Amino acid sequence: MNIEVRGLTKAFGPISAVTDLSFEAEAGVVTGFLGPNGAGKTTTMQMMLGLVTPTSGTATFGGHRYADLPHPSAAVGAVLDSAGFHPAHTAYDHLRVYARMGRHGTARVDQVADLTGVSAFAGRLTRTLSTGMRQRLSLATALLGDPQVLLLDEPSNGLDPEGIAWLREFLRELAADGRTILVSSHVLGEIEHTADHVVVIRDGRLVTAGPIAGLYGTATVLVRSPQADLFAAKLVTSEVRVEHPRPDLLRIHGLSTEQVAAAAASHGVTLHEITPEHPTLEQAFLHLTGGSR
Amino acid sequence: MTALLAAEWTRLTGTKLWLWGLLAALASGALIGLLALAGPENFTPPMPGLDTAQGIHALLGLLGFTVFVPALLGTIAVSAEYRHRTITTTTLFAPRRWTWLAAKLAIYTGAGLAYGATAAAVAGGALWGVAVLKGITLGLPAVTITALLARIALTMAVYTLLGLAVGALLRNQVTALIAVGAYFYMIETVLMLIPGIKLLYPYLPGGATAALTGFTYLADAIADQTGTSATPLLSAPAGAAVLVCYALVAIAIAVAAPLRRDIT
Ligand SMILES: Nc1ncnc2c1ncn2[C@@H]1O[C@H](COP(=O)(O)OP(=O)(O)OP(=O)(O)O)[C@@H](O)[C@H]1O
Ligand SMILES: [Mg+2]
Repeated sequence: MNIEVRGLTKAFGPISAVTDLSFEAEAGVVTGFLGPNGAGKTTTMQMMLGLVTPTSGTATFGGHRYADLPHPSAAVGAVLDSAGFHPAHTAYDHLRVYARMGRHGTARVDQVADLTGVSAFAGRLTRTLSTGMRQRLSLATALLGDPQVLLLDEPSNGLDPEGIAWLREFLRELAADGRTILVSSHVLGEIEHTADHVVVIRDGRLVTAGPIAGLYGTATVLVRSPQADLFAAKLVTSEVRVEHPRPDLLRIHGLSTEQVAAAAASHGVTLHEITPEHPTLEQAFLHLTGGSR
Repeated sequence: MTALLAAEWTRLTGTKLWLWGLLAALASGALIGLLALAGPENFTPPMPGLDTAQGIHALLGLLGFTVFVPALLGTIAVSAEYRHRTITTTTLFAPRRWTWLAAKLAIYTGAGLAYGATAAAVAGGALWGVAVLKGITLGLPAVTITALLARIALTMAVYTLLGLAVGALLRNQVTALIAVGAYFYMIETVLMLIPGIKLLYPYLPGGATAALTGFTYLADAIADQTGTSATPLLSAPAGAAVLVCYALVAIAIAVAAPLRRDIT
Protein backbone atom coordinates (compact mmCIF):
# COMPACT_ATOMS: atom_id res chain seq x y z
CA MET A 1 0.00 0.00 0.00
CA ASN A 2 1.69 3.20 -1.19
CA ILE A 3 1.34 6.64 0.29
CA GLU A 4 0.63 9.49 -2.07
CA VAL A 5 0.68 13.11 -0.94
CA ARG A 6 -0.59 15.70 -3.46
CA GLY A 7 -0.38 19.45 -3.03
CA LEU A 8 -0.89 19.34 0.72
CA THR A 9 -1.19 22.84 2.16
CA LYS A 10 -2.02 24.06 5.65
CA ALA A 11 -2.18 27.58 6.97
CA PHE A 12 -2.76 28.19 10.68
CA GLY A 13 -4.05 31.72 10.36
CA PRO A 14 -1.12 33.76 9.05
CA ILE A 15 1.37 30.89 9.54
CA SER A 16 1.95 28.72 6.47
CA ALA A 17 2.87 25.42 8.10
CA VAL A 18 2.89 23.34 4.90
CA THR A 19 2.81 24.62 1.33
CA ASP A 20 1.94 22.58 -1.77
CA LEU A 21 3.75 19.48 -0.57
CA SER A 22 3.77 16.41 -2.81
CA PHE A 23 5.68 13.16 -2.36
CA GLU A 24 5.25 9.40 -2.41
CA ALA A 25 6.34 6.61 -0.11
CA GLU A 26 6.52 3.10 -1.47
CA ALA A 27 5.79 -0.25 0.07
CA GLY A 28 8.82 -2.28 1.10
CA VAL A 29 11.07 0.65 1.91
CA VAL A 30 11.62 2.93 4.86
CA THR A 31 11.10 6.54 3.81
CA GLY A 32 12.70 9.16 6.00
CA PHE A 33 10.78 12.41 6.40
CA LEU A 34 13.34 15.05 7.23
CA GLY A 35 13.28 18.71 8.09
CA PRO A 36 14.49 21.08 10.77
CA ASN A 37 12.28 22.07 13.74
CA GLY A 38 9.09 23.74 12.58
CA ALA A 39 9.46 22.51 9.00
CA GLY A 40 5.96 21.04 9.03
CA LYS A 41 6.60 17.31 9.52
CA THR A 42 4.11 16.84 12.33
CA THR A 43 1.48 18.97 10.61
CA THR A 44 1.89 16.94 7.41
CA MET A 45 1.41 13.66 9.25
CA GLN A 46 -1.61 15.03 11.11
CA MET A 47 -3.16 16.03 7.78
CA MET A 48 -2.40 12.63 6.27
CA LEU A 49 -4.30 11.03 9.15
CA GLY A 50 -7.28 13.38 9.04
CA LEU A 51 -6.53 14.87 12.46
CA VAL A 52 -5.91 18.27 10.90
CA THR A 53 -8.02 19.44 7.97
CA PRO A 54 -5.76 20.60 5.10
CA THR A 55 -6.34 24.03 3.58
CA SER A 56 -5.99 22.18 0.28
CA GLY A 57 -4.49 19.01 -1.15
CA THR A 58 -4.91 15.32 -0.39
CA ALA A 59 -3.07 12.37 1.08
CA THR A 60 -4.05 8.83 0.18
CA PHE A 61 -3.11 5.32 1.26
CA GLY A 62 -3.49 2.86 -1.60
CA GLY A 63 -5.78 5.43 -3.22
CA HIS A 64 -8.01 6.05 -0.19
CA ARG A 65 -8.02 8.96 2.21
CA TYR A 66 -7.43 7.84 5.77
CA ALA A 67 -11.02 8.41 6.89
CA ASP A 68 -12.35 6.54 3.83
CA LEU A 69 -10.30 3.41 4.45
CA PRO A 70 -12.61 0.45 5.10
CA HIS A 71 -10.75 -0.42 8.31
CA PRO A 72 -8.36 2.42 9.08
CA SER A 73 -6.51 1.03 12.10
CA ALA A 74 -5.88 -2.24 10.23
CA ALA A 75 -4.37 -0.36 7.28
CA VAL A 76 -2.40 2.48 8.83
CA GLY A 77 -0.74 2.73 12.24
CA ALA A 78 0.60 5.99 13.62
CA VAL A 79 2.98 6.97 16.38
CA LEU A 80 2.44 10.66 17.20
CA ASP A 81 3.81 12.36 20.25
CA SER A 82 0.58 14.34 20.61
CA ALA A 83 -1.14 11.07 21.60
CA GLY A 84 -1.50 10.45 25.32
CA PHE A 85 -2.79 7.85 27.74
CA HIS A 86 -5.34 7.95 30.52
CA PRO A 87 -3.15 8.20 33.64
CA ALA A 88 -5.37 5.83 35.62
CA HIS A 89 -5.21 3.12 32.98
CA THR A 90 -2.47 0.54 32.95
CA ALA A 91 -0.51 0.08 29.72
CA TYR A 92 -2.49 -3.11 29.28
CA ASP A 93 -5.86 -1.33 29.80
CA HIS A 94 -4.88 1.19 27.15
CA LEU A 95 -4.11 -1.54 24.62
CA ARG A 96 -7.32 -3.38 25.49
CA VAL A 97 -9.48 -0.29 24.90
CA TYR A 98 -8.03 0.26 21.43
CA ALA A 99 -7.94 -3.43 20.52
CA ARG A 100 -11.69 -3.40 21.19
CA MET A 101 -12.25 -0.17 19.34
CA GLY A 102 -10.38 -1.38 16.25
CA ARG A 103 -11.87 -4.91 16.41
CA HIS A 104 -8.41 -6.44 16.55
CA GLY A 105 -9.13 -9.10 19.16
CA THR A 106 -7.69 -9.22 22.67
CA ALA A 107 -5.12 -11.86 21.67
CA ARG A 108 -3.41 -9.16 19.65
CA VAL A 109 -2.81 -7.15 22.83
CA ASP A 110 -0.34 -9.71 24.15
CA GLN A 111 1.32 -10.04 20.76
CA VAL A 112 2.05 -6.33 20.34
CA ALA A 113 3.04 -6.03 24.00
CA ASP A 114 5.64 -8.77 23.48
CA LEU A 115 6.76 -7.36 20.15
CA THR A 116 7.46 -3.88 21.52
CA GLY A 117 8.68 -4.76 24.99
CA VAL A 118 5.58 -3.32 26.64
CA SER A 119 5.02 -6.65 28.43
CA ALA A 120 7.73 -5.66 30.90
CA PHE A 121 5.53 -2.86 32.27
CA ALA A 122 2.06 -3.82 31.03
CA GLY A 123 0.56 -3.76 34.52
CA ARG A 124 1.82 -0.31 35.45
CA LEU A 125 -0.33 2.82 35.40
CA THR A 126 0.53 4.91 32.37
CA ARG A 127 1.22 7.96 34.54
CA THR A 128 4.21 6.12 36.00
CA LEU A 129 5.80 5.33 32.63
CA SER A 130 9.02 6.90 31.38
CA THR A 131 9.20 8.70 28.03
CA GLY A 132 10.77 5.68 26.36
CA MET A 133 8.13 3.35 27.79
CA ARG A 134 5.41 5.68 26.50
CA GLN A 135 7.02 5.64 23.10
CA ARG A 136 6.93 1.84 23.09
CA LEU A 137 3.30 1.84 24.22
CA SER A 138 2.46 4.23 21.36
CA LEU A 139 4.17 1.90 18.94
CA ALA A 140 2.33 -1.10 20.40
CA THR A 141 -0.99 0.74 19.96
CA ALA A 142 -0.13 1.57 16.34
CA LEU A 143 0.67 -2.08 15.65
CA LEU A 144 -2.61 -3.46 17.08
CA GLY A 145 -4.21 -3.69 13.65
CA ASP A 146 -1.07 -5.20 12.05
CA PRO A 147 -1.14 -2.28 9.58
CA GLN A 148 0.42 -2.22 6.12
CA VAL A 149 1.49 1.39 6.58
CA LEU A 150 3.26 2.89 9.57
CA LEU A 151 3.66 6.62 10.18
CA LEU A 152 6.09 7.53 12.93
CA ASP A 153 6.73 11.09 14.10
CA GLU A 154 10.16 11.31 15.73
CA PRO A 155 9.80 7.84 17.25
CA SER A 156 13.28 7.74 18.78
CA ASN A 157 12.45 10.65 21.12
CA GLY A 158 13.19 9.42 24.61
CA LEU A 159 14.59 6.06 23.55
CA ASP A 160 17.97 4.99 24.91
CA PRO A 161 20.73 3.92 22.44
CA GLU A 162 19.68 0.30 22.83
CA GLY A 163 16.08 1.26 22.15
CA ILE A 164 17.06 3.28 19.08
CA ALA A 165 19.06 0.37 17.66
CA TRP A 166 16.14 -1.95 18.34
CA LEU A 167 13.66 0.40 16.67
CA ARG A 168 15.91 0.76 13.63
CA GLU A 169 16.10 -3.00 13.18
CA PHE A 170 12.38 -3.36 13.86
CA LEU A 171 11.42 -0.81 11.18
CA ARG A 172 13.77 -2.42 8.66
CA GLU A 173 12.11 -5.79 9.30
CA LEU A 174 8.64 -4.32 8.89
CA ALA A 175 9.70 -2.76 5.57
CA ALA A 176 11.32 -6.00 4.40
CA ASP A 177 7.91 -7.53 5.07
CA GLY A 178 6.48 -5.30 2.34
CA ARG A 179 5.11 -2.57 4.58
CA THR A 180 5.29 1.15 3.92
CA ILE A 181 7.16 3.03 6.61
CA LEU A 182 7.32 6.82 6.86
CA VAL A 183 9.46 8.01 9.73
CA SER A 184 10.16 11.64 10.52
CA SER A 185 13.20 13.19 12.16
CA HIS A 186 14.98 16.50 12.38
CA VAL A 187 18.34 14.72 12.71
CA LEU A 188 19.56 12.90 9.64
CA GLY A 189 21.94 10.67 11.61
CA GLU A 190 18.96 9.15 13.33
CA ILE A 191 17.50 7.62 10.19
CA GLU A 192 20.55 7.60 7.93
CA HIS A 193 20.99 3.88 8.54
CA THR A 194 17.30 3.03 8.50
CA ALA A 195 15.85 4.90 5.55
CA ASP A 196 16.21 3.93 1.91
CA HIS A 197 14.42 6.99 0.61
CA VAL A 198 14.19 10.47 2.02
CA VAL A 199 11.78 13.35 1.67
CA VAL A 200 13.35 16.59 2.85
CA ILE A 201 11.22 19.64 3.65
CA ARG A 202 12.02 23.14 4.88
CA ASP A 203 9.55 25.89 5.78
CA GLY A 204 6.72 23.61 4.74
CA ARG A 205 8.02 23.10 1.21
CA LEU A 206 9.64 20.14 -0.47
CA VAL A 207 13.41 20.47 -0.80
CA THR A 208 14.26 17.12 -2.29
CA ALA A 209 12.93 13.57 -2.45
CA GLY A 210 14.54 10.36 -3.60
CA PRO A 211 17.03 7.64 -2.69
CA ILE A 212 19.15 8.57 0.30
CA ALA A 213 22.36 8.13 -1.74
CA GLY A 214 21.30 11.08 -3.87
CA LEU A 215 21.61 13.34 -0.83
CA TYR A 216 25.40 12.99 -0.88
CA GLY A 217 25.57 15.21 -3.91
CA THR A 218 28.48 14.94 -6.35
CA ALA A 219 31.69 13.57 -4.98
CA THR A 220 35.03 15.37 -5.38
CA VAL A 221 38.51 13.94 -5.84
CA LEU A 222 41.54 15.22 -3.92
CA VAL A 223 44.85 14.97 -5.75
CA ARG A 224 48.41 15.63 -4.52
CA SER A 225 50.94 16.13 -7.26
CA PRO A 226 54.28 17.94 -7.77
CA GLN A 227 52.84 19.05 -11.17
CA ALA A 228 49.58 20.40 -9.80
CA ASP A 229 49.63 23.60 -11.88
CA LEU A 230 50.16 21.76 -15.13
CA PHE A 231 47.51 19.11 -14.32
CA ALA A 232 44.94 21.75 -13.38
CA ALA A 233 45.44 23.55 -16.69
CA LYS A 234 44.97 20.28 -18.63
CA LEU A 235 41.81 19.25 -16.67
CA VAL A 236 39.64 22.33 -16.72
CA THR A 237 36.71 22.08 -19.16
CA SER A 238 33.12 23.28 -19.03
CA GLU A 239 32.15 20.20 -16.91
CA VAL A 240 35.20 20.04 -14.68
CA ARG A 241 35.98 22.59 -12.01
CA VAL A 242 39.26 22.59 -10.11
CA GLU A 243 40.09 24.17 -6.77
CA HIS A 244 43.69 24.78 -5.87
CA PRO A 245 43.87 25.04 -2.09
CA ARG A 246 47.65 24.48 -1.78
CA PRO A 247 50.46 24.56 -4.37
CA ASP A 248 50.65 20.73 -4.52
CA LEU A 249 46.95 20.06 -3.93
CA LEU A 250 43.91 20.00 -6.23
CA ARG A 251 40.24 19.38 -5.47
CA ILE A 252 38.54 18.23 -8.66
CA HIS A 253 34.76 18.51 -9.13
CA GLY A 254 33.01 16.55 -11.86
CA LEU A 255 35.32 13.56 -12.38
CA SER A 256 35.53 10.14 -10.75
CA THR A 257 38.82 8.80 -9.30
CA GLU A 258 39.13 6.50 -12.31
CA GLN A 259 38.75 9.40 -14.72
CA VAL A 260 41.31 11.48 -12.81
CA ALA A 261 43.82 8.60 -12.83
CA ALA A 262 43.30 8.03 -16.54
CA ALA A 263 43.77 11.74 -17.28
CA ALA A 264 47.00 11.82 -15.24
CA ALA A 265 48.35 8.82 -17.17
CA SER A 266 47.51 10.26 -20.58
CA HIS A 267 49.11 13.64 -19.72
CA GLY A 268 52.14 12.00 -18.08
CA VAL A 269 51.51 13.72 -14.75
CA THR A 270 52.99 12.24 -11.58
CA LEU A 271 50.48 11.72 -8.74
CA HIS A 272 51.45 11.23 -5.08
CA GLU A 273 47.98 10.79 -3.77
CA ILE A 274 44.44 10.39 -5.11
CA THR A 275 41.52 10.41 -2.62
CA PRO A 276 37.74 10.36 -3.22
CA GLU A 277 35.94 12.88 -0.98
CA HIS A 278 32.29 12.47 0.07
CA PRO A 279 30.57 15.21 1.98
CA THR A 280 28.92 13.61 5.00
CA LEU A 281 25.20 13.14 4.73
CA GLU A 282 24.78 15.47 7.67
CA GLN A 283 26.61 18.24 5.77
CA ALA A 284 24.43 17.63 2.74
CA PHE A 285 21.34 17.78 4.90
CA LEU A 286 22.42 20.95 6.64
CA HIS A 287 23.16 22.51 3.28
CA LEU A 288 19.75 21.51 1.91
CA THR A 289 17.80 22.65 4.93
CA GLY A 290 19.53 25.97 5.29
CA GLY A 291 22.50 25.06 7.47
CA SER A 292 22.93 27.43 10.35
CA ARG A 293 19.23 27.64 11.29
CA MET B 1 -20.61 0.40 16.66
CA THR B 2 -20.56 -2.61 18.98
CA ALA B 3 -16.76 -2.36 18.91
CA LEU B 4 -16.91 1.27 19.97
CA LEU B 5 -19.41 0.45 22.72
CA ALA B 6 -17.20 -2.37 23.97
CA ALA B 7 -14.19 -0.05 23.91
CA GLU B 8 -15.98 2.67 25.89
CA TRP B 9 -17.16 0.08 28.36
CA THR B 10 -13.59 -1.17 28.78
CA ARG B 11 -12.41 2.39 29.18
CA LEU B 12 -15.04 3.14 31.84
CA THR B 13 -14.34 0.01 33.84
CA GLY B 14 -10.58 0.49 33.50
CA THR B 15 -10.62 3.57 35.74
CA LYS B 16 -12.07 4.15 39.18
CA LEU B 17 -14.64 6.64 37.83
CA TRP B 18 -17.39 4.03 37.97
CA LEU B 19 -16.55 3.35 41.61
CA TRP B 20 -16.83 7.03 42.50
CA GLY B 21 -20.12 7.13 40.61
CA LEU B 22 -21.42 4.18 42.57
CA LEU B 23 -20.33 5.70 45.87
CA ALA B 24 -21.91 9.04 44.98
CA ALA B 25 -25.16 7.30 44.02
CA LEU B 26 -25.24 5.35 47.28
CA ALA B 27 -24.36 8.44 49.30
CA SER B 28 -27.03 10.67 47.73
CA GLY B 29 -29.63 7.94 48.29
CA ALA B 30 -28.47 7.50 51.87
CA LEU B 31 -28.63 11.26 52.44
CA ILE B 32 -32.35 11.19 51.65
CA GLY B 33 -32.70 8.29 54.07
CA LEU B 34 -30.99 10.33 56.81
CA LEU B 35 -33.21 13.34 56.14
CA ALA B 36 -36.28 11.10 56.28
CA LEU B 37 -35.06 9.70 59.57
CA ALA B 38 -34.58 13.19 61.01
CA GLY B 39 -38.05 14.11 59.75
CA PRO B 40 -38.74 17.12 57.49
CA GLU B 41 -40.99 18.61 60.19
CA ASN B 42 -37.87 19.09 62.34
CA PHE B 43 -35.96 21.07 59.65
CA THR B 44 -35.35 24.81 59.98
CA PRO B 45 -37.54 26.13 58.51
CA PRO B 46 -39.87 23.17 59.09
CA MET B 47 -41.08 21.40 56.00
CA PRO B 48 -44.23 19.32 55.57
CA GLY B 49 -43.90 15.85 57.16
CA LEU B 50 -43.60 12.51 55.44
CA ASP B 51 -47.28 11.82 56.01
CA THR B 52 -48.15 14.55 53.52
CA ALA B 53 -47.86 14.46 49.74
CA GLN B 54 -45.90 17.72 49.84
CA GLY B 55 -43.42 16.27 52.31
CA ILE B 56 -42.63 13.31 50.07
CA HIS B 57 -42.33 15.58 47.03
CA ALA B 58 -39.94 17.88 48.85
CA LEU B 59 -37.73 15.08 50.11
CA LEU B 60 -37.49 13.32 46.77
CA GLY B 61 -37.01 16.71 45.15
CA LEU B 62 -33.89 17.06 47.26
CA LEU B 63 -32.62 13.85 45.68
CA GLY B 64 -33.42 15.44 42.34
CA PHE B 65 -31.17 18.27 43.45
CA THR B 66 -28.14 15.97 43.33
CA VAL B 67 -28.49 15.49 39.56
CA PHE B 68 -25.42 17.67 39.04
CA VAL B 69 -23.29 14.78 40.32
CA PRO B 70 -23.94 12.47 37.34
CA ALA B 71 -23.68 15.57 35.12
CA LEU B 72 -20.19 16.15 36.49
CA LEU B 73 -19.28 12.50 35.97
CA GLY B 74 -20.41 12.77 32.33
CA THR B 75 -18.34 15.90 31.90
CA ILE B 76 -15.27 14.23 33.35
CA ALA B 77 -15.72 11.23 31.06
CA VAL B 78 -15.61 13.23 27.82
CA SER B 79 -13.19 15.98 28.74
CA ALA B 80 -10.72 13.34 29.97
CA GLU B 81 -10.22 12.41 26.31
CA TYR B 82 -8.98 15.91 25.62
CA ARG B 83 -7.13 16.39 28.88
CA HIS B 84 -5.13 13.19 28.58
CA ARG B 85 -4.94 13.48 24.80
CA THR B 86 -6.29 10.03 24.11
CA ILE B 87 -8.49 11.89 21.63
CA THR B 88 -5.74 11.54 19.01
CA THR B 89 -5.67 7.75 19.20
CA THR B 90 -9.46 7.54 19.51
CA THR B 91 -9.88 9.62 16.35
CA LEU B 92 -7.36 7.45 14.52
CA PHE B 93 -9.26 4.30 15.45
CA ALA B 94 -12.67 5.89 14.71
CA PRO B 95 -12.04 8.62 12.08
CA ARG B 96 -15.73 9.43 11.72
CA ARG B 97 -15.73 11.36 14.95
CA TRP B 98 -19.45 11.35 15.71
CA THR B 99 -19.32 7.55 16.01
CA TRP B 100 -17.19 7.52 19.15
CA LEU B 101 -19.18 10.38 20.64
CA ALA B 102 -22.36 8.40 19.98
CA ALA B 103 -20.81 5.34 21.63
CA LYS B 104 -19.85 7.43 24.66
CA LEU B 105 -23.35 8.89 24.82
CA ALA B 106 -24.89 5.43 24.75
CA ILE B 107 -22.59 3.97 27.39
CA TYR B 108 -22.90 6.96 29.70
CA THR B 109 -26.67 7.24 29.31
CA GLY B 110 -26.74 3.67 30.54
CA ALA B 111 -24.31 4.55 33.32
CA GLY B 112 -26.40 7.61 34.24
CA LEU B 113 -29.53 5.47 34.36
CA ALA B 114 -27.74 2.97 36.58
CA TYR B 115 -26.60 5.84 38.78
CA GLY B 116 -30.14 7.19 39.03
CA ALA B 117 -31.63 3.76 39.66
CA THR B 118 -29.13 3.11 42.44
CA ALA B 119 -29.69 6.48 44.11
CA ALA B 120 -33.48 6.18 43.72
CA ALA B 121 -33.56 2.61 45.02
CA VAL B 122 -31.51 3.50 48.09
CA ALA B 123 -33.64 6.60 48.75
CA GLY B 124 -36.90 4.69 48.21
CA GLY B 125 -35.76 1.83 50.41
CA ALA B 126 -34.74 4.27 53.12
CA LEU B 127 -38.05 6.13 52.87
CA TRP B 128 -40.14 3.01 53.41
CA GLY B 129 -37.74 1.79 56.05
CA VAL B 130 -38.17 5.04 58.00
CA ALA B 131 -41.95 4.86 57.52
CA VAL B 132 -42.07 1.36 59.02
CA LEU B 133 -39.64 2.34 61.78
CA LYS B 134 -41.58 5.41 62.81
CA GLY B 135 -44.98 3.95 62.09
CA ILE B 136 -45.83 6.73 59.60
CA THR B 137 -48.25 6.26 56.73
CA LEU B 138 -46.51 7.90 53.78
CA GLY B 139 -48.41 10.81 52.24
CA LEU B 140 -48.43 9.29 48.77
CA PRO B 141 -49.37 5.83 47.51
CA ALA B 142 -46.46 3.46 46.79
CA VAL B 143 -47.18 3.54 43.06
CA THR B 144 -46.86 7.33 42.95
CA ILE B 145 -43.64 7.28 44.96
CA THR B 146 -42.16 4.62 42.67
CA ALA B 147 -43.12 6.70 39.65
CA LEU B 148 -41.48 9.78 41.20
CA LEU B 149 -38.31 7.80 41.89
CA ALA B 150 -38.29 6.48 38.32
CA ARG B 151 -38.61 10.05 37.04
CA ILE B 152 -35.64 11.09 39.13
CA ALA B 153 -33.58 8.17 37.79
CA LEU B 154 -34.50 9.27 34.27
CA THR B 155 -33.56 12.86 35.05
CA MET B 156 -30.15 11.68 36.16
CA ALA B 157 -29.60 9.85 32.87
CA VAL B 158 -30.55 12.99 30.92
CA TYR B 159 -28.22 15.07 33.10
CA THR B 160 -25.35 12.68 32.43
CA LEU B 161 -25.99 13.34 28.74
CA LEU B 162 -26.03 17.09 29.34
CA GLY B 163 -22.77 16.90 31.26
CA LEU B 164 -21.23 14.82 28.49
CA ALA B 165 -22.27 17.33 25.87
CA VAL B 166 -20.80 20.20 27.88
CA GLY B 167 -17.55 18.25 28.20
CA ALA B 168 -17.43 17.66 24.45
CA LEU B 169 -18.14 21.34 23.80
CA LEU B 170 -15.69 22.91 26.21
CA ARG B 171 -12.95 20.23 26.06
CA ASN B 172 -10.97 21.82 28.85
CA GLN B 173 -11.79 19.63 31.83
CA VAL B 174 -11.48 22.33 34.49
CA THR B 175 -13.48 24.88 32.49
CA ALA B 176 -16.18 22.31 31.79
CA LEU B 177 -16.42 21.25 35.43
CA ILE B 178 -16.60 24.86 36.60
CA ALA B 179 -19.25 25.65 33.99
CA VAL B 180 -21.44 22.73 35.02
CA GLY B 181 -20.93 23.31 38.74
CA ALA B 182 -21.47 27.06 38.54
CA TYR B 183 -24.66 26.60 36.55
CA PHE B 184 -26.32 24.36 39.09
CA TYR B 185 -25.04 26.10 42.18
CA MET B 186 -25.39 29.71 41.18
CA ILE B 187 -26.38 30.84 37.75
CA GLU B 188 -29.85 29.36 37.60
CA THR B 189 -30.76 30.48 41.13
CA VAL B 190 -29.56 33.99 40.37
CA LEU B 191 -31.51 34.01 37.10
CA MET B 192 -34.69 33.28 39.01
CA LEU B 193 -34.28 36.50 40.99
CA ILE B 194 -34.59 38.56 37.81
CA PRO B 195 -38.33 39.19 37.32
CA GLY B 196 -38.42 38.95 33.53
CA ILE B 197 -36.15 35.94 33.21
CA LYS B 198 -38.15 34.19 35.89
CA LEU B 199 -40.87 33.60 33.32
CA LEU B 200 -38.40 31.49 31.41
CA TYR B 201 -37.64 29.38 34.44
CA PRO B 202 -39.95 26.50 33.48
CA TYR B 203 -37.90 26.10 30.33
CA LEU B 204 -34.47 26.26 32.01
CA PRO B 205 -32.86 22.95 32.98
CA GLY B 206 -33.62 23.52 36.66
CA GLY B 207 -37.26 24.37 36.02
CA ALA B 208 -37.71 21.43 33.70
CA THR B 209 -36.08 19.22 36.31
CA ALA B 210 -38.43 20.58 38.96
CA ALA B 211 -41.37 19.79 36.70
CA LEU B 212 -40.07 16.27 36.20
CA THR B 213 -39.34 15.60 39.87
CA GLY B 214 -42.32 17.58 41.19
CA PHE B 215 -40.02 19.56 43.52
CA THR B 216 -41.15 23.19 43.64
CA TYR B 217 -40.00 24.09 47.12
CA LEU B 218 -37.09 26.23 45.91
CA ALA B 219 -39.19 28.09 43.35
CA ASP B 220 -41.88 28.67 45.97
CA ALA B 221 -39.40 29.89 48.54
CA ILE B 222 -37.90 32.39 46.13
CA ALA B 223 -41.36 33.53 45.09
CA ASP B 224 -42.17 34.11 48.77
CA GLN B 225 -39.02 36.09 49.37
CA THR B 226 -39.37 38.29 46.32
CA GLY B 227 -43.07 38.70 46.94
CA THR B 228 -44.05 37.53 43.48
CA SER B 229 -46.07 34.54 42.51
CA ALA B 230 -44.20 31.42 41.48
CA THR B 231 -44.12 30.79 37.76
CA PRO B 232 -46.15 27.66 37.06
CA LEU B 233 -43.97 24.74 35.98
CA LEU B 234 -44.46 22.56 32.94
CA SER B 235 -46.10 19.15 33.20
CA ALA B 236 -43.74 16.27 33.98
CA PRO B 237 -43.61 14.86 30.42
CA ALA B 238 -43.11 18.36 29.00
CA GLY B 239 -40.31 18.93 31.52
CA ALA B 240 -38.68 15.67 30.42
CA ALA B 241 -39.03 16.71 26.80
CA VAL B 242 -37.39 20.08 27.50
CA LEU B 243 -34.47 18.36 29.25
CA VAL B 244 -33.97 15.91 26.42
CA CYS B 245 -34.05 18.82 23.97
CA TYR B 246 -31.28 20.55 25.93
CA ALA B 247 -29.18 17.40 25.77
CA LEU B 248 -29.86 16.96 22.04
CA VAL B 249 -29.00 20.56 21.24
CA ALA B 250 -25.81 20.35 23.28
CA ILE B 251 -24.85 17.13 21.51
CA ALA B 252 -25.68 18.55 18.09
CA ILE B 253 -23.42 21.53 18.79
CA ALA B 254 -20.73 19.19 20.10
CA VAL B 255 -20.90 17.10 16.93
CA ALA B 256 -21.06 20.10 14.62
CA ALA B 257 -18.37 22.30 16.14
CA PRO B 258 -15.59 20.74 18.25
CA LEU B 259 -15.53 17.47 16.43
CA ARG B 260 -14.47 19.29 13.30
CA ARG B 261 -11.68 21.14 15.01
CA ASP B 262 -8.09 20.19 14.33
CA ILE B 263 -6.65 17.73 16.80
CA THR B 264 -3.06 18.79 17.33
N1 LIG C 1 -1.89 24.25 16.00
C1 LIG C 1 -1.06 25.14 15.47
N2 LIG C 1 -1.38 26.45 15.44
C2 LIG C 1 -0.56 27.36 14.89
N3 LIG C 1 0.61 27.06 14.32
C3 LIG C 1 0.99 25.78 14.30
C4 LIG C 1 0.19 24.76 14.87
N4 LIG C 1 0.84 23.58 14.71
C5 LIG C 1 1.98 23.87 14.08
N5 LIG C 1 2.09 25.19 13.82
C6 LIG C 1 3.20 25.86 13.11
O1 LIG C 1 3.40 25.19 11.89
C7 LIG C 1 4.78 25.06 11.61
C8 LIG C 1 5.14 23.61 11.42
O2 LIG C 1 5.05 22.95 12.66
P1 LIG C 1 5.27 21.39 12.82
O3 LIG C 1 4.96 21.04 14.23
O4 LIG C 1 4.50 20.68 11.77
O5 LIG C 1 6.83 21.24 12.54
P2 LIG C 1 7.78 19.97 12.72
O6 LIG C 1 8.48 19.79 11.44
O7 LIG C 1 7.00 18.82 13.23
O8 LIG C 1 8.81 20.49 13.83
P3 LIG C 1 9.57 19.70 15.00
O9 LIG C 1 10.79 19.08 14.41
O10 LIG C 1 9.94 20.81 15.95
O11 LIG C 1 8.63 18.73 15.58
C9 LIG C 1 5.50 25.75 12.75
O12 LIG C 1 5.79 27.07 12.35
C10 LIG C 1 4.49 25.77 13.86
O13 LIG C 1 4.70 26.87 14.69
MG1 LIG D 1 7.09 17.69 15.02
